[in-house]
Amino acid sequence: MLNNGDVILSVKDLHVKFSLRGKVLNAIRGISLDLYKGEALAIVGESGSGKSVLTKNFIGLLDKNGWVDSGEIWYYGLEGGPVDLAQYKTEEQWQGFRGKQVAMVMQDPMTSLNPLKTIGWQIEEALKLHQGLQGEAASKKAIEILSDVGIPEPERRAKQYPHEFSGGMRQRVVIAIAMACNPQILICDEPTTALDVTIQAQILQLIRNLKDKYGLTTIYITHDLGVVANVADRIAVMYAGDIVEVGTCEEVFYDPRHPYTWALLSSLPQLGIKGEDLYAIKGTPPNLFNEIRGDAFAPRNPHPLKIDFLYRPPYFEVSPTHKARTWLLDPRAAKVDPPEIIRHIRNIKLDTMDIKAKNAAEPTAES
Amino acid sequence: MLKYSIKRLARSLITLIILITIVFALLRFMPEEGYFNNYEKMSPAQIELGLIKMGLKDPLYVQVGRFIRNLLQGDLGVSYRYRVNSPIARIIAPKIAISAKLGIICMAISLPLGLALGVLMARYKGRFWDRLGNAYIVFIQAVPNAVYFIFIQLYGSTWLKIPMLYNENDWRTLILPTISLALPSISSYAMWLRRYMVDETNKDYIKLARAKGVPNTTIWFRHVFRNAVVPIVNLIPGSLLMTISGSIYTESFYSIPGMGGLLVDVIKRQDNNMVLVLVVLFAAVGIVGLLLGDIAMAIVDPRISFTKKEGSR
Ligand SMILES: Nc1ncnc2c1ncn2[C@@H]1O[C@H](COP(=O)(O)OP(=O)(O)OP(=O)(O)O)[C@@H](O)[C@H]1O
Ligand SMILES: [Mg+2]
Repeated sequence: MLNNGDVILSVKDLHVKFSLRGKVLNAIRGISLDLYKGEALAIVGESGSGKSVLTKNFIGLLDKNGWVDSGEIWYYGLEGGPVDLAQYKTEEQWQGFRGKQVAMVMQDPMTSLNPLKTIGWQIEEALKLHQGLQGEAASKKAIEILSDVGIPEPERRAKQYPHEFSGGMRQRVVIAIAMACNPQILICDEPTTALDVTIQAQILQLIRNLKDKYGLTTIYITHDLGVVANVADRIAVMYAGDIVEVGTCEEVFYDPRHPYTWALLSSLPQLGIKGEDLYAIKGTPPNLFNEIRGDAFAPRNPHPLKIDFLYRPPYFEVSPTHKARTWLLDPRAAKVDPPEIIRHIRNIKLDTMDIKAKNAAEPTAES
Repeated sequence: MLKYSIKRLARSLITLIILITIVFALLRFMPEEGYFNNYEKMSPAQIELGLIKMGLKDPLYVQVGRFIRNLLQGDLGVSYRYRVNSPIARIIAPKIAISAKLGIICMAISLPLGLALGVLMARYKGRFWDRLGNAYIVFIQAVPNAVYFIFIQLYGSTWLKIPMLYNENDWRTLILPTISLALPSISSYAMWLRRYMVDETNKDYIKLARAKGVPNTTIWFRHVFRNAVVPIVNLIPGSLLMTISGSIYTESFYSIPGMGGLLVDVIKRQDNNMVLVLVVLFAAVGIVGLLLGDIAMAIVDPRISFTKKEGSR
């Protein structure tokens, strides 16, 4: 499943901080991650775990009060050789990179489009910037892309304004804009959160089709593990500004190793038993203003090891594609079995786990 | 678009007619002496006769109808006390011309300057231009204008020797009043545009524009400024029309024979007809200003002309 080999983006021990009312918040705490050309990577984790902050570094859109404190972000997609995006400081450096190399689809399609410009105009703006198209050629191409993302009557629709589109259609337009940039990497930051469930499935399908058709590398951010099996080749699980486990979909679902991944999987509605309450992770994530000692998840882990509170675990390799940051993988650690429910996952076929299947069975379970 | 405008126009007309009726009715409560210039010497019978002759004893709707009919023929009636028996149109026309001239010159200067300052402030928020602009805005808004008017007078007429009192044949006499009017006007354009632009920059579509690689300067003008200026476009026709009402303070400070203060004068002199005409005139200007403002906004904002629900307010 993996197009192994070509790394297109490589993050090395990245630390990102924010200054907020005189205090410093450690949003990303030493992340290392390789992204392979043509793959679809899903980043999952609860709210505030740093998914958006991490990916904003790839496109130079970190908020003004944030900075890369240390670490490297190597991008290999440029002809002139690799560049370290962590060294990009000025707008001028990012100009020409944004969009063209890495494009982004954001969460809320209702507010991501300029209300005063036609849809066609907004797509053409990207075409002019990145594909050097002008006038007639640009508008023709814009219409082509609109039909590519599944918008009926694209000639007519191109002349309309965002308020004439529904949420799902607007997200298609946002995707069309990203495609008009013709990027190497497409970051989708919770692209379906604001949409209703049936539309969600269509948008996911669209992103996957575009990825296959154009060989895009996609990063797919979500806090819904249920949808990732359907969109991603690999999963990175984030907790408190760190990637605690990363592996292929099968590895993370069928053989999870980090207690936080166990907890996430246990709370999947797909695993819930009718009539019983869904599993919920107790406690709250750590305060990122403080220095975190040991394993960040330890205070919420039902069966922590002593060492979890003392030292931060390194990555342990489970397989060449699968690693996790937990002391449980240390040969010296006591054996802790994953919760019973996790073992049930093996009985579920991954590709039935997407929201479509879920939806067909119980349409209202999501809310 | 056209339908929208026509609907708004019809509604404005109705508002205006209702307003004229109300003003008419209210003015009937004013002392009758306001219709005569030698009321004290008249006998009750003469007064009665005079009122009947002027049609003031007719039913209200007849009077309103007559007033509107005359209005449409350009006849605003005559002044009884302010300037005895002269047609009101003849009194106010030159005053309107003077006030409007001053107001339009002032707007032509302060609109571009104010918008430019607003753009600079938003663009360099928290830095030099923003601080400077804020200091200026706070100064203008907090200090009573009498204070800086005196500075302008001192500096302009004493040091630069610019003539101060209005003289219609000397354009230099317009310089100081224009500056006096423009200073606060620049500050308010700058303040609003800055606020609207800062609001826009925080919106998602600006982030998307950035994410798709639109250069910064382009984002500022094509997206942020363009969208932030919509509510200001809405105000411009009204401000432009309102210039005919003049400015009480500036005009009296520089002895400009404009419209500013005229309403106060005619109320003091109890010239009922002039009060009526002026109130109706200012109200009409206000209503038409709003109407034109909304039409202007509908032109620059596609969301408005398409709303299925009646206009946004
Ligand atoms: N501009 C900022 N200033 C201060 N702190 C910030 C800023 N942006 C993000 N953070 C903090 O960084 C952490 C990670 O935020 P991030 O937005 O990446 O979370 P997320 O995983 O994307 O969550 P969600 O699923 O809610 O989008 C959070 O604790 C957040 O409060
Ligand atoms: Mg986020």
